[in-house]
Amino acid sequence: MNDTLTRRELGRRLSRLADASVAEVLALAPAAPSTVPRIGLTGAPGVGKSSLAGRLGLLRAQARRVGMLAVDPSSPVSGGAILGDRIRLDELAGAENLYLRSIASRSSSDGLAENLPELLETLAAAGFDELVLETVGVGQAEHAVRSQVDTLALVLMPGSGDTVQAMKAGMMELADLYVINKCELPGAQQLAAEIQRVQALVGSHGGWAAPVVLTSIHDADTITDLSAAIDAHQAWLVDSGNREAVLEQRARYRLRLLLERRLGEVLDTVSPQALDGSLAEQFASVAAALPLDDGTP
Amino acid sequence: MNTSTATAAGNGGTTTPLRGKRILVAKPGLDGHDIGAKVVALALRNAGAEVIYTGLRKSPQQIARVAVDEGVDAVGLSILSGSHRELVRQVVECLRAEDAADIAVFVGGTVPQEDHADLAALGVRGIYTSDQPLAEVIAALAAALG
Amino acid sequence: MSSPTPKPRLGTHTMAGLEVPLRAGPELVDPGRIGEPGAMPFTRGIFADGYQGRLWTIRQYSGFGTAEDTNARYRFLLEQGQTGLSVALDLPTQCGYDPVDPMARPEVGKVGVSLSNLAEMEILFDGIDLGAISTSFTINGTAAIIYAMYLATADKLGVPREKLTGTIQNDILKEYVARGTWIFPVRPSMRLIADSILFANQATPRFNPISIAGAHVRDAGATAIEEMAYTLANGLAYVDELERRGGDIAKFARRLSFFFYVHQDFFEEIAKFRAGRRLWAKLLSERYGVTDEKALMFRFGVVCGGSSLVAPQPLNNIVRVTVETMAAVFGGAQSIFTCAYDEAFQIPTETSAEIALRTQQILAYESGIGRSVDALGGSYVVEHLTNQMEDGIAAVMQEIDDYGGVEKAIEDGWLQMRIAERALERKQKVDRGDTVIVGQNFFARDDSERGVGETFQVDPNAAARVLEKYERIRDTRDAAAAERTLAALGRAAASDDENLMPYLVDCCHAYVTVGEMVERMKAQWGEFQEPVRL
Repeated sequence: MNDTLTRRELGRRLSRLADASVAEVLALAPAAPSTVPRIGLTGAPGVGKSSLAGRLGLLRAQARRVGMLAVDPSSPVSGGAILGDRIRLDELAGAENLYLRSIASRSSSDGLAENLPELLETLAAAGFDELVLETVGVGQAEHAVRSQVDTLALVLMPGSGDTVQAMKAGMMELADLYVINKCELPGAQQLAAEIQRVQALVGSHGGWAAPVVLTSIHDADTITDLSAAIDAHQAWLVDSGNREAVLEQRARYRLRLLLERRLGEVLDTVSPQALDGSLAEQFASVAAALPLDDGTP
Repeated sequence: MNTSTATAAGNGGTTTPLRGKRILVAKPGLDGHDIGAKVVALALRNAGAEVIYTGLRKSPQQIARVAVDEGVDAVGLSILSGSHRELVRQVVECLRAEDAADIAVFVGGTVPQEDHADLAALGVRGIYTSDQPLAEVIAALAAALG
Repeated sequence: MSSPTPKPRLGTHTMAGLEVPLRAGPELVDPGRIGEPGAMPFTRGIFADGYQGRLWTIRQYSGFGTAEDTNARYRFLLEQGQTGLSVALDLPTQCGYDPVDPMARPEVGKVGVSLSNLAEMEILFDGIDLGAISTSFTINGTAAIIYAMYLATADKLGVPREKLTGTIQNDILKEYVARGTWIFPVRPSMRLIADSILFANQATPRFNPISIAGAHVRDAGATAIEEMAYTLANGLAYVDELERRGGDIAKFARRLSFFFYVHQDFFEEIAKFRAGRRLWAKLLSERYGVTDEKALMFRFGVVCGGSSLVAPQPLNNIVRVTVETMAAVFGGAQSIFTCAYDEAFQIPTETSAEIALRTQQILAYESGIGRSVDALGGSYVVEHLTNQMEDGIAAVMQEIDDYGGVEKAIEDGWLQMRIAERALERKQKVDRGDTVIVGQNFFARDDSERGVGETFQVDPNAAARVLEKYERIRDTRDAAAAERTLAALGRAAASDDENLMPYLVDCCHAYVTVGEMVERMKAQWGEFQEPVRL
């Protein structure tokens, strides 16, 4: 852990930020954006992302301090969630270097968790050498997670034929790695071939040809392969100069998210009178309420 | 310990009185009966809480570590092996060692009446048994967590 | 807690959801499906002479603290007329931890007796003739080790192994989903079970090396239909493993036995047992071609009580256990364990254990319900429900097959999730008042006692004494022999061709501890990673 926040304080800070208003975020979140490498794992429910992320995190924690954030869906009915439905590898070797935080998606606008960029920044500022973000990739969330990480791995499993369709529909540009998990199941090779076929049609983005990696939680060598593929992408990002663009996109997205949330806060509390008058008047009224007063939550 | 008949209506009639609360449900020690813990975890989720369930066979150190890293408001220990006194004491000590004495501790399982006072002295805020209706448990938790 | 406004209703369906006809008549009975007692398909019982030929075994569960304390309780119960011993072991022994391990320390001697090495078992059976008494061990993860220890004890007492009778539960599949004393991953655990069964078939032909249990999934929340279905599915998984290992099904199937809970729904339970007995015989003969009738016999024991007992107004539990025992008798159980009325909240006292024993004796010798085989056979309601049960069980077994089998269902956490969902449903039904629990959600009193009579105290010094003995054994045993036998065990575990039983027996004779043997096997096989899925 770093000098400024103890583990307990970090835990508390993350909890506060998860609930924080925009004003609180501006007060609490680290100002300078971090540049520690970030890995993202996304994919449909059931592909074994959590087990995979856990093992990957543990492996990478042998050599560095890893902060992991895992997003689980909130119940649309109760707003509650079962988080961290995953194997806790706490007592295994290297676990002291691994920090795991589970967050609920709640009702955030981008399908991810509220204030996710701030949570990641806080983790990074707490002294971790690398961050891993694990999310359920459904709909918009897949696109949202792109800007939050440097290396995005899309996790699939054999037998899910519709994932390839989804890929054709637009995911191809987003992932840096295709991971076929549960590769001990029949159909793994066919799926790999299909992905490569679609890739050939669509072409690679920015000069990086996304590799297909086969993994199984029962085979430690495959986890090593995955880790190596991630290292390769991280190196390419830096060498090719593409990392700058990634960081810029991230900064824009972070700002956009904050502004959208501020807008939401204003609209939630705006008086009915402000909605009288012409559209231009309404717009001006709301825009005028956007700036934050000192100390006003 | 409190086994009052407080109803959910006491929380303003809301059906999700635990909204915004983060709760860890843990199985310390070797006790393998996890169904009560799972039922409570699901009920807490249905009441709006964000719940983390640890699975079986966790040491007090692991439980405290997860409680701290996950920044939970409360830890619910499920113990049916009769070892509640030692295990609760150990968990409370581990929480204290991690500067987390402010995390509320609750116990569910098979705790005889005569042990309630000792657990309360350790800082346990509520003890629940399987014959209590879930709504009662949730209301008591919501009241205790504020 | 005051009763909710709805009144209790009789209901029209069993707890598992089978419709119970208001007026049942002969049109509901299909005589072709029934058969005769002691013959295929065994609906009416596996023995033509029922309890006249042999009364069910009255077996009570005991064990706590030190081996000395347990030994004293066993001698008391044997004097009172009990005919078999049932050994409860503490969690460290069950989970493969030695008493010194920090995870084990708070649990030593709490839910059963601590048996970390052979010396403890020698104390446990001091003054008891192993050749004359049947002993049942509720042990799973470390079943092969405890069985080895039992053999070693018999060896030392000069009791021929062929004379030994009893059971080890040894049913790891249900541990993963409902009881939690697993140790190794699924595959090596199945290997170990096959080792113990195949060995036992040769060495101790009168000993039941497995008791496939439905009781625990039932306790966890499964319905009566699911209880039987999961159990039979697990049974078939073991049969498959034994066949893979070259076992002769006609031989090993004779020694497979089963174990269930009996809950309060009287006719449902009777139907469950009759349907299970019939379905097992059909499955073994149709799928595996077994023709030897002895190998088709579905032998089972039951526990009356469990999660059907509650803490408020605990004396009511005596009535519950009585009704359940009657259902077990009409269902044709081979052995019955009756819970004490205070089981819901503590380890039973001598008084409550005695009442539980008397319950069986009164039903056996005063009520006369066991005089005829399957006395309720031919009853319109019972036969109808038996048929419904059989269909329901077969349907659930098909679902498991469709998923990919029990091993996959367990590794994925699918079965566990189903059980948890069912448990939540069950709890919600009780909370709503749809399920009646007298004294709890109906007919409760605010001043209801939650426990009566003597509160049983586990001796607080028991754990210290256990540790003292443990250290002494470690200090005084032949260290070279211990290391040699452990090394041999490790090599055998690494090989696919060795039956581990002789190596485990050798280790026991060298006073190697349970924890040491488990560590050696864990080094080879790893530990089960529990899939946490809600």
